[in-house]
Amino acid sequence: MSAGEQGRMYTANIVDTVVFRSLGKHPNPHLDRLKNAVEEAQTEIWVPDLIYEELADHGPDGTVTNPYLDHGIEEGWIRVVSPPQPDDGIGNADKGHIAARAWQEANHILDSHSKYPTTNNRRDGSLVALAVHLFAENKRIRVITHTADELLAKALTIIPSEFGYHEVVSRYYHPPRSAKQTFPTVDSLTWDR
Amino acid sequence: MSYDTDHVQNAGGTPERITGIHAFTDLVDNAALAGLYTTIRSKGTASGPELVDGADVSKKTVYDYLRTLASAGLITDIGEENGATTYAAEDFELTLTVRDVTVSITPALVAVLSHREEHPVIDRVLEEHGLLTFALAHDLVMDHNEGNVTIRQIGDLTGLSSGMSYDLVDAIYTIRDFAETASSPETFTPANVDSDQHDVDVTEE
Repeated sequence: MSAGEQGRMYTANIVDTVVFRSLGKHPNPHLDRLKNAVEEAQTEIWVPDLIYEELADHGPDGTVTNPYLDHGIEEGWIRVVSPPQPDDGIGNADKGHIAARAWQEANHILDSHSKYPTTNNRRDGSLVALAVHLFAENKRIRVITHTADELLAKALTIIPSEFGYHEVVSRYYHPPRSAKQTFPTVDSLTWDR
Repeated sequence: MSYDTDHVQNAGGTPERITGIHAFTDLVDNAALAGLYTTIRSKGTASGPELVDGADVSKKTVYDYLRTLASAGLITDIGEENGATTYAAEDFELTLTVRDVTVSITPALVAVLSHREEHPVIDRVLEEHGLLTFALAHDLVMDHNEGNVTIRQIGDLTGLSSGMSYDLVDAIYTIRDFAETASSPETFTPANVDSDQHDVDVTEE
């Protein structure tokens, strides 16, 4: 987060699984475009650890590799974070961890607006928690999120606002495959575009 | 005459004769047969030569399939045009209930199944999870298009893996041309999403 630390407004881009799936595994030209766009937009891609796990391959010997993310992580333009979970047994939400409370709120909103309320997947909520976590940890930051689920895209704008963080926009890719062309661009990764 | 018995309901007239039940199940297993039925249904009417021209199977196979579909009542001979027999497709719904679980095979489902060779994920879902799961996943993709579920929920509800759920969503969106002309991405902001109603004014990129 070097830009933010230097006093300039930093823009973080939080990206959901489906967007990486539409781009495909490394190496491919779509990931090359993404890397170039990230560099030009002076941003970074942020991913919750649960999303990393969701995209990972688990080898028989216990090794975990991620054909979508590892290359970008090694090069430093993709960052994986573990926002505090609300249900980890130590009462993060009750202790006032704002990201954990945001995660709880995400579960509630996704449940209440879904056609199948009991099936909300905690990975959906982890994206919301990460957004709020980044706001809580950094003063000069804006967040752009990228997903292919309408419900989640709306939750990603509503919930940070409820916690007082309004510098957030959510890009919703519909149909999901449209992300292949429109996500790895400077426009999609940049605020005010 | 109207019937309303345990096994037969009709709104009037003589019930049509239903034979060749295997043709209904063949629509699930045979992409070429499903494609022929779907082509006739999407065109409204089609003649034998027209169908032969657009088919990936031989002329003989096309006419064999037309006989199969006609004998099952899935298509109807509506007369001749330029000396060729012309057909119209009939709507149908085949409902199977086993152990309190009901699955319906409809023309919409058959239309998707007819693309199984272009989208291998359809066969993978059918082979590894069965028709019921495929039909459920298909309907949930419709819900996803309406914004009512997330892709992860499709995986949770069907038992499909994350990767298979995404591949199936992508295949069905492609087959059905969902939102093909819409601008994407749509951008939501705190100002244009109503947190109570989830109504939103969309800013297109």
